[in-house]
Formats: sequence, structure tokens, C-alpha cells
Amino acid sequence: MGSFLVFAILAVLAIGSAVGMVLSRNAIHSALFLIGTMAILAVFYVLLNAPFVAMVQVAVYAGAIMVLFLFVIMLLGAERLGGIGAGSRWQIGLAMALGVALLVILGIALFRGGATAGNPEVIDAGPAAFGLRLFEAYVLPFEVTSILLLVAMIGVIVLRTREGKK
Amino acid sequence: MPEVTINWYLALSAVLFTIGALGVLGRRNALIIFMSIELMLNAANLAFVALARHLGDLNGQIFVFFVMTVAAAEVAVGLALIVAIFRTKASINIDEINILKG
Amino acid sequence: MNVYGFAPLLLIFPAIGVLFNALLGHRFVRPDPEAAHNDAAGEKWSGWVASVMALASFTVAVGLFFALIGNDFHMGTVPLFDWIRIPSADFNVPWAMQVDTLSVTMMLVVAGVGSVIHIYAIGYMHGDKGFARFFAYMNLFLFFMLILVSANNYLMLFVGWEGVGLCSYLLIGFWFDEVDEEGKAVNANAARKAFVVNRIGDFAVIVAMILLFWTLGSLEFESVFSSAVELFEEGQRFTILGQSVTIGGVLAVVTTLFLIGAAGKSAQIPLYVWLPDAMAGPTPVSALIHAATMVTSGIYLIARSNVLYEIVRVVAEEGSVWLASPTLVAYVGAATALLAGIIAFTRFDIKKVLAYSTVSQLGFMIAAVGMGAYVAGMFHLVTHAFFKALLFLSAGSVIHGVEHGHHHLGHDDREEEAHEEAHEEAHEEAHGEEAFDPQDMRVMGGLRRRMPTTYWVYLIGALALSGIFPLAGFWSKDEILAHANQHNVGVYILLTLAAICTAFYMGRQIKLVFFGEPRHEAAEHAVESPPIMTTPLIILAALAVVGGALNLPFLTAGMAEAAHNHPEGIFLALEGWLEHSLAAFELSEEGIVNLPLIEPPALKPLVAGLSLLFAVGSFVLAFYVVYGRRPETAEERDPMRDVPVIGPAIWAFAVLPLNTLFMDYVVPAFNRAADWLAHAVDWTFWHDFVHDNVIRDVFVGFANFTSDVLDKKGLDGALVEGTAYLTRYLAEGIRLTQTGYVRNYALGLFLGVVALLAYFLLMAG
Repeated sequence: MGSFLVFAILAVLAIGSAVGMVLSRNAIHSALFLIGTMAILAVFYVLLNAPFVAMVQVAVYAGAIMVLFLFVIMLLGAERLGGIGAGSRWQIGLAMALGVALLVILGIALFRGGATAGNPEVIDAGPAAFGLRLFEAYVLPFEVTSILLLVAMIGVIVLRTREGKK
Repeated sequence: MPEVTINWYLALSAVLFTIGALGVLGRRNALIIFMSIELMLNAANLAFVALARHLGDLNGQIFVFFVMTVAAAEVAVGLALIVAIFRTKASINIDEINILKG
Repeated sequence: MNVYGFAPLLLIFPAIGVLFNALLGHRFVRPDPEAAHNDAAGEKWSGWVASVMALASFTVAVGLFFALIGNDFHMGTVPLFDWIRIPSADFNVPWAMQVDTLSVTMMLVVAGVGSVIHIYAIGYMHGDKGFARFFAYMNLFLFFMLILVSANNYLMLFVGWEGVGLCSYLLIGFWFDEVDEEGKAVNANAARKAFVVNRIGDFAVIVAMILLFWTLGSLEFESVFSSAVELFEEGQRFTILGQSVTIGGVLAVVTTLFLIGAAGKSAQIPLYVWLPDAMAGPTPVSALIHAATMVTSGIYLIARSNVLYEIVRVVAEEGSVWLASPTLVAYVGAATALLAGIIAFTRFDIKKVLAYSTVSQLGFMIAAVGMGAYVAGMFHLVTHAFFKALLFLSAGSVIHGVEHGHHHLGHDDREEEAHEEAHEEAHEEAHGEEAFDPQDMRVMGGLRRRMPTTYWVYLIGALALSGIFPLAGFWSKDEILAHANQHNVGVYILLTLAAICTAFYMGRQIKLVFFGEPRHEAAEHAVESPPIMTTPLIILAALAVVGGALNLPFLTAGMAEAAHNHPEGIFLALEGWLEHSLAAFELSEEGIVNLPLIEPPALKPLVAGLSLLFAVGSFVLAFYVVYGRRPETAEERDPMRDVPVIGPAIWAFAVLPLNTLFMDYVVPAFNRAADWLAHAVDWTFWHDFVHDNVIRDVFVGFANFTSDVLDKKGLDGALVEGTAYLTRYLAEGIRLTQTGYVRNYALGLFLGVVALLAYFLLMAG
């Protein structure tokens, strides 16, 4: 699971990048911070013996999805829209309180019971093994996912078409 | 140097998730709220992968794979909606969008 | 096996007639307003069905008559059904018919005379638009009258009593839509007057029944009479309204109340005022209801209650009760006889004379029963039914003929001629040609040549009424006079004077109507009535001639002897016949003793001769002396007024405002008495309290509770509207959370996530 030092540095970078994403005034900066977070998470995946997932993370998330984001931001010219501190004061307060409460709860849960006994053995998680497992045990979900993507694509086209007719 | 256990990964995941949640609740730019949701999904993915490593089970990684697929579809539709709303209201400020008011 | 078991048919036949004419009559009798007459065949159906039903009833009565003879005159009861049962009070009023000699006598008179009058009415009512209605009412009257006379208890008798009152009301006001020149509905008003005046008498009867039930615990004749005698012998005392009284005292009050009732029904002082006005009805009605039958029900009531009156007579002679109701009855009757006889002198309306004559003759009957001469009273009732029905029907025939004569002249103004001349005495002088009244004797005269049959039967009736030997009226009136002569000299004098009056006004009437020269073109052209009207007249005339044979004095004399040898089963005349239903008492050392009614010869030659002399003299006086030379006309004064001293005196007396007196004194007194009694009885029974507080308040409270609380607040409010209000209230609240802002939804979602995690990781872990 990697050395503590590597984990610590990467974790700090990921958190910092995430905070930067949330707090940035410029939406493009936010997108770039998010790409950073995702890249760091891809490194974590490699460390956690998930090379295929790490590759997909970089290609799909950091590549395709975030490029789409940047594209829309630039299309709309929405870089500067909206800041922090939206809504009323009680909403922000409540959100902060809930966030703290969530962290506390999770922290207590994590460090109270200690680590469950795991399986230290390193399994084969290469693309071949991954593909075999996917098409042996998850054929049906895989196909359903393809339909999901198809529906999403049709939905987007419909949205744009109706807009265009107007 | 302490050993890096599963708990550290899960803690990191929790922190990232909380940051993403606060981003959803705290920003009024619909695009950034969207990005925060992506961050929360990634936090969850991290927990999946960490637990897959911890338990020596490939199924966790496959689940992450599916989450990414759904996220891709979600982003495609969501961004189309945002563009449509922007066309009609000339704004992506969610505080100005309340047509669901009861 | 009850030999009288067929008695209910007596009531069923008239009931069928009522239903036929009430339900189907309008299908047969179709008034044709243009031709002013009805479908002749339809009239025959309507009239003959009614008449046949009356005849059938009469046949049943005859059957009962023979059944009584065959059964040794034993009284029989025919129960029809239970009517009122109150087991806790041991009170039971059955609907049962009593068949005894008294009731069968009444049945024969009612159904017999009724049948004849029904047939007569077919001719008389010809062309009237209410033909079927008339016969429905007539049959209804027969039905109720037969209930009255066949009742075996006071309550059922009272049903008939009220029923005939209703029919009287309906028939007096038969032409209710006619108005006089002032626009008053005279006929309807007359009907109302009769009804209201009768209420006073009916009220007294109700109170009497309450007293009887209160003290004797029953209303059935048999048990009332037997327990009255029993309690009287025991000397039982009662507490009524805080006073301790003997049974004799109670019965004195009861019998006095019965007298008031009889005064209402039988038109005695002070309640006689309705009967003259009742002549507004069609003439057959006057004959049947207001001369022959209904008005005699007061006499029947007293005769039926003879046991009670005899007890009171005994205690009154003993001196323990000051209210000697039998003597009161006798004096009321005698005074009425004289008063009405005098008033009859002064009337011009042919029917009004007869009406006052009826009041007078009813006074004779009441006086008779008051003296204990029940048989004489019933005898006069029967003969009077014959000759007074005859007189009324003949008068109807006269009116009919004069009307036809008037039509003949072409003065066809129905409204004018048909109206009742209500105020003739008020403006007799002004009575002119244009207001023709076919009932006014002053427009008649000389009719004996135009209407010979009517003349002869009218003469027979008039002589019978006057008491001329040997017609029916002589025997019956003389028997009453003989009794009065024997028992009560004051009554005798009054009745003799009344008898003189009777002969006088009848002589006057005969003279004015049938003799002399016609005083109006209508009388000149009068025509005789059709056979359907004259045939009943001849039948009744025959009865008026021979009716006296029912109770000839020498027959009774022989019977008195036979009675001692054969106490049971004698029947030679009315005396012996009725003896089985009537009673006479005497107080002796052992208590009350039942006496045989049959007395030694009722014919007293002196009394009879004297009354005959008076009657003939009076008749002749009127016929030849007073009205002999100068029959009055519309223009001239009544010659009687020119007779010194007596004439003006009679006129002054007769035009006394008796009606006004009645309305000013009797009615308010009655109202006050009724008011006082109502309150007294109310307090005695806690009637108000029970009614207002217990029954009404509880009921109203419960009703209010169910309506206001249970229904309006509970069902409507809580369930129906409450559901709607709750839904709406909740929706108003929840709606506030639906702001439409994504952030709020997200916050809610986040809150839920944190809460669930807290539960699963901390609590459930």
C-alpha cells in the first residue's frame, strides 16, 4: 500500500487540490484543480494495485469528462460566474456543521473498531484479468450500461434539437 | 513511520467527499457544483479501490468502472441541461433557478 | 253463535256507497256547464247506488229487528275489533255494536227514513253539479249515524257523534260557493256556525266521558251502568279536584254535561241557534239530518244513559244532590219548545218555519226524556221523524215547483233566486220583486191547485205535527203531555203553550202556501214535482198517518196486565219493546229497585181532549181568522202583527237579538270555562310539566345534540371538513419547504445522509 511518506504527500496534494477546486473564483481554475485531484487519485489507484482503473481514470475522467467541462465553461463564458457564500447565512452554517459532523462520524467509525482483517495477497488486476471478470460475471450490467450511454446520448441530442427549433 | 492501512485511505476518501459536499452546498455556479459532485464520486471510487485492495477482491474495481461509465453519461446530460438553461435564463446561477417552487 | 252476527253489514253498505260515489262518482256524473244539467244515466247510477245502499242498510236493520224478537229481546253485542287497550289502567274500548231494542229502533228510523230521503233526493238534486258529492256525503252521514246508534260504548258513540257533525257541516255548506248580495258566503258561514256551536256540546260530552272513565273505569254502556248502580248502593265517594263527592254527585255533573251535549246536537237552549241557519243546505239534508235523525241523537244519548239519569233522579229526590239534572233537562226542553214555537210565528221562509218547528218538537222530546218518559220521547222521535221529514220534503217539492214556475217565466237568474234570504226580517218591507226567493211564503199561495199531491201530503204532515186526531203526532205528543201533567205541572204548561203555537204556525203556513190566490207569477206557474219525489212523500205521509199505532195507549194498557203475567217476551207496542232497553228506579229501604216501565194507561182523556181542542182551535184561528181574509204579501205587514197585544208582543219577543246574545254571552262563557278547565286539568295531571319539560325538552335536546353536535360538528366538522382542513393545513406548511432552490434540497439530502450514517455507524454498529 505504499509508504507512508508517499501517501502523506499525495494525500495533502489531493486535499489541497480539492479545496482549491471548491474555493476558486474562476471556473477554469476549478476545473484544472479537479483534474489535478483526479490525476493524484489515479496514482493512488496504481499504488492500490488497480492499474486498469488508474488508466481509465486518466483517460475518461481527466481526459474526456474534464475536457467536456472546460469546453462548456468556455462556450458559455461562465468563468467568473458565482462566488462562495451563496444562499443565506444559515444555509452556509448548516452546511459547515453537517460537513464537520460527517467527518467526526466517519473518523469515530474508522478509528474506533480498528482495521478489519484483510487479504494481504496481491491479486492479478491487470486488463486481462479485469476483462475476464467483467465479461464472465458482469455481462448483463455491462450491456445495460451500454444502453444507459445510448439513452444519455439520445437525451442530449433531443435537448439540443428542441432548443434549436425554438 | 506508521504503516499505511486501509483506514488512511478511507479517511482521505471521507475528507474528499466532505469537501465535495461543501462545494455543492456552498457554490452558486452550477458548473462548479457539478464538478464538486464529480469530486464526491471520485472520493467514493477511492474507497472502492482501497477496499478492493484490502480484501483482495477484483469486484470493487469493476464497480468503479461502472461508476465511471454512469458519471460520463451523467456529465453529458447534465452539461446539456446547463447549456439549455443558460440559453433561456442567460444564467447558470442556481439561486436564480427555482421553477420547481411549490 | 251470535244471532246478530250480520250486524256489521249495517255499516258496510253505506261505507260502500261512500266509496263508490267518492271515488267513482265523477266518472258517472259529468256536469255540463253549458247545458246546466248532468248526464242523466250517470246521475241514475250515482243516486241509485247510494239509495240501494241505504235500503240495504235498512234491510239489515229489519233483520236485526226480527233477530231481536226471535231472541226474546235479549241485548246482544257484536264485537268488531279492539280499539283502545291500556292494560295498565284496565281500560279497554272495543269497537263493538250493541243490538238492543233501543238501538234497533234508531237504526230502523235512520235507515228507513234515510232510504226514502235518498230516493227523493235523486229527483231533487237532479242537475246539480255536485250530484255525486251529495250522495257521497249522504251515505257518509248514514254510516256515522249508524255508528252512533249502534255503539256499545260512549267513545264509539262519540265517534259517530262527531262524524254526523262533520257530515252536517259538509251538507249545510254543500253550496259553499254561493254568496249573498253583500258578498258573504252565507252557506259556508252557516255551516261554520253549526260546527262551532256543536263544539260546545261536544266538549261537554268529552268532559263527561272523562269523568265517567275516571270514576267508573269504563266507557262501555253495560259496565258503566252496572258499576254505577253498584257504586251507588255502596255509597262510594270520589275525590275530584279536591272535592269529595258521591257517585250521585258525579253522575249529576255527568248527566248535566250530557244535557249540554244534547243541547248542541239537538238544538236546545242555549245552543239552538245553529239549526235555523242550517236550512242553508239542500232540502233533503234538512229533512234527513236536521229534522229526522241527527238532531235526535241528543235524545238518544239521554235515553241511552237512562240509568245514570234515573240514579240522579233518585238522589235528587232524596235531597243529597242539589243538581237535579233530569228536571233541568225537562225544563230546558219545555222552554225550548215554547221559545222556538213563538219564533216560528214570525218567519216567512218556508224552511225556517219548519226549522223552528223542529227545534220546538225536539224540545218536546228532551222534556219527555227529562221527565223519565223515555218511551214517550222515543215515540215522539219516531213519529216526528216521519212527519217532519215529510214536511221538509214537501217543502222541498214546493220550492222545486215554484222555482220551475220562475224558470218558466224566463227569469233565469240562478244566483239571484238560489240565495238564502238571510235577513228577511230586517228589511221585509224593502223586499222587492227583483230579489226573488223561492222559499218565501209570501210569494206563494194557491198552490193546492197547481201541486195537488204535494198539497195533500203537506196537509197530512202539518196536521200530524199539530197533533190532530188520529194522526201520529197526536198520539206521541199527547203521551208526553200526559206524562208532564202527571209529573211536572210547570213543564206541562210550557208544553201545552208550545203545542198551541205549533198548531198556529202550521195553520198559517198551510194557508199562506196552498190557499188564496197566487201572489207571484212563479206561484201561478208552479208545476208538480216528478214521481220520484212524490212517491217518497206518499210513503212518509202514510207513515205519518199510521205512526201513532206504534204505541196506542189502549195497547199499552192491555200490555201492562200482560207484563205482570209474562215479564219476558212481551212485545205489543213501542212501550213493551223499549222496556227491554230502558230502566226506571226507585229508592226503597233495600236500595235501588228496578221498576217496570210499563205504566197504567198513559192516555188521560182530559189531557188528550184539551190538547186536541187547543190544537184544532189554534189551527182554525190561524187558518180562518188571522190569515183568512188577508194573506200577507211582500208589501203588506203580517196580519198577526195587527192582533192587539199578542201580535206586537210576539214580534217583539221573536226579533230579540238572540244570536247576538249567544255570541256575546254564551260563547265567551264557554271559552272561559274551557280555559279554566284546561288549566285545572293540566295542573292536576302535571300535564304541562310532563309535556314541556320531560317529553319536549328531552326530545328537542336530543334532536339538537344529534343535529348540532353529532352531525354538524362530529360528522360534518371533524370527519368531512376536518380531513380537508388538515390536508390543506399540512400542505400550506409543507409547501414552504418546496422553495424550488436546489441548495435547499441538497441540504436536506445531506442532512439525511449524515443522520443515516450517524445511525448506522454509531448506534447500530
